[in-house]
Amino acid sequence: MENSKTKRSRRTFLLAVGAGSAATVAAIGAKTVPQTGDARAKQEPGGKGYQLTEHIRNYYRTTLV
Amino acid sequence: MTGEALPVEPGQPVAPEDQARAEFYALLARLWYAAPDAALLQSIAASGDLPAEGAQTALAEAWRQLKAAAAAADPEAVRDEYDALFIGTGKAAVTLYASGYLVETGRERVLVALRDELPALGLERVGATHEPEDHFAALLEIMRHLVVSGADDAALQRERKFFTRYVLRAYNPLTNEVVASARADFYKFVARFTKAFCDVEASSLEML
Repeated sequence: MENSKTKRSRRTFLLAVGAGSAATVAAIGAKTVPQTGDARAKQEPGGKGYQLTEHIRNYYRTTLV
Repeated sequence: MTGEALPVEPGQPVAPEDQARAEFYALLARLWYAAPDAALLQSIAASGDLPAEGAQTALAEAWRQLKAAAAAADPEAVRDEYDALFIGTGKAAVTLYASGYLVETGRERVLVALRDELPALGLERVGATHEPEDHFAALLEIMRHLVVSGADDAALQRERKFFTRYVLRAYNPLTNEVVASARADFYKFVARFTKAFCDVEASSLEML
């Protein structure tokens, strides 16, 4: 099952291929919300107040309130 | 929702590598949802390179090329390109709906399965929307949501299951079609980066 060894190798893999370093894309992520004026920040469980991109705001909303 | 199904709960803090995955999913969802505006193109062009070790440079290389393409792109031309590729009245060159690529199960059945699954993930369609749930951007956005929604084993299994069922079989044909399309320019690089990222996702989720 998913033991810590598996998690470590997965993490190592992600870092090795460049997919595990948050710095590069994080700066862009904050700007990816289309400028529609009414896009709202929404606190997500486990996240840090990520801006929901507009389409998911349109398509779905989390039902866990 | 009343519900017995409440799998998406605040879990442990999201690990840095998962936060990074979430950012990639967010960016890709945005790029497949609509053409990037000038500010987004600039942000991509101005961003740093991805670190990569040894021979595993496919993602970093695809990212470098996407940055170069973003630096050279004209926002208006990219908007026209997006419309011609994905919108076109009745004859879009490339469909962005994943079920179009999951032929063996059939579009309707994929949509039905997806609609059954979303409530269990704590998501539902908003009434006013016109888009079916299997838009590629929506699938990527759901992955982002799942990645930031928990880091325990159950959360990872949810990610793997959703990725395998909906993203895995769609991303290759979809990105291949874009790359092969004569109308694609900037989106060829979006497609190549998407493929490189989904390849990494497929490999890392397989490790679970």
